Amino acid sequence: MTGPHANPEDLDLYALGALDGEDKQTLEAHLRACPYCQQQLAAARQRTALMGLAAPPAVPRPEVKAALMDKVRTEKRAGTGSRAAQTALSKIRKKRWGLRFSLGFGLATAVLAFATYELAKQDLDRGKQLQQLQAQLSQDAAALQAMAQITGAPDSTQITLLQQPNGPPGQAHVLYNARMGLGVYSGQIAPAPSGKSYQLWLVPASGAPVDAGVVGANQQNGAVVVRLAPGLAPKAFAVTLEPLGGRPQPTGPMVLVGAVG
Amino acid sequence: MQPAPDSALVDRMRTGDEAALSTLYDHYSAMLFGMLMRILRDQQAAEEVLQDLFLQLWRNAAQFDSARGSLPAWLMVIGRNRAISRLRGRRDREVLEEEEGDYANTFVSGQNIEDESVRAELARNISAALGQLPVEQRQAVELAYFEGMTQSEIASQTGIPLGTVKTRVRTAMQSLRQILG
Repeated sequence: MTGPHANPEDLDLYALGALDGEDKQTLEAHLRACPYCQQQLAAARQRTALMGLAAPPAVPRPEVKAALMDKVRTEKRAGTGSRAAQTALSKIRKKRWGLRFSLGFGLATAVLAFATYELAKQDLDRGKQLQQLQAQLSQDAAALQAMAQITGAPDSTQITLLQQPNGPPGQAHVLYNARMGLGVYSGQIAPAPSGKSYQLWLVPASGAPVDAGVVGANQQNGAVVVRLAPGLAPKAFAVTLEPLGGRPQPTGPMVLVGAVG
Repeated sequence: MQPAPDSALVDRMRTGDEAALSTLYDHYSAMLFGMLMRILRDQQAAEEVLQDLFLQLWRNAAQFDSARGSLPAWLMVIGRNRAISRLRGRRDREVLEEEEGDYANTFVSGQNIEDESVRAELARNISAALGQLPVEQRQAVELAYFEGMTQSEIASQTGIPLGTVKTRVRTAMQSLRQILG
């Protein structure tokens, strides 16, 4: 650190992902409180990312684009078909948050969950409280940020995904806000067989399931942020077993399922 | 005819125009795929990350402010993070990437790399700059960029003292910063 702001070299190294140890902790503490250095970091991230141009361009197979466009069209159809369900959902969902939603953030999550519970119970200023908590919790920043957004919204919901008959043992939770298209997944399932991945799906009231991303077998200690098209109301969430890396549409058996409401 | 700028294509994506996404894919997929292949060295994995990247762009088009950031640079930031996360089996970069995306989306890039000729010239300059670095500096910075290693991990892998690694990476980045603007 030089003067009131971070060294440009430190920002470059941080953007590169090379900074660690005490140097990293010191810089992160400063960044949390310094909008100027956050902007400088943004510049460093873009600058550093451009180093990737050193790799020679390579043309992907045409099938990659075709699969992408298929996926986009599927999502568009699913989004159109779910508006009515989303409206109905917003009327019936006024749940308060308790401590039972167990994300695997250890103490940090427990603090946030407890505070969220207290916020709901005491009807305090949620935004202010969550902001204070976010400042305290530097780890898993994005997941916590997403969680704070979701728990601060009255139209969010929690879904518990349970093991299916003859399926591998496991359980997971999704905290989701359909209006924001934002959710957090955590859970644990028996390890996937070799060459297979677990994939999370949002099952809308009508239309095809929507890919919510590949998830690890053990997400107890690192929740996954789920971002989908806003306004897409879920009837359920499900985890299926898919070929490695996942598929645009479910092809394998359902491992965990949880209905909304 | 002049090609549509990224800002116009992003605006069209917000209205659900698939053709805009198709155009952006055509513009940037080779640049991104080259980087992903260099990091992952696995065609299938690189293809999956590439597809996810553009899917994320499609889903989050409403949140991207083209006037405040460079779309190709944003794609490279997120793409690199996803690839390294996958390479190293770490989820921390994925979890943080949204935050990084926000940061990246608050900066007006000094390099107009929307333009293919500008991008090509910059790529030549970066390659030349890397080529001019002493071998040990280049190796250190490439381990950090393409392998996602921290300074401590580089020291551990190469058996070079941490202080030496820090000096090499810092010196290399100072040189590159002059070129990358």
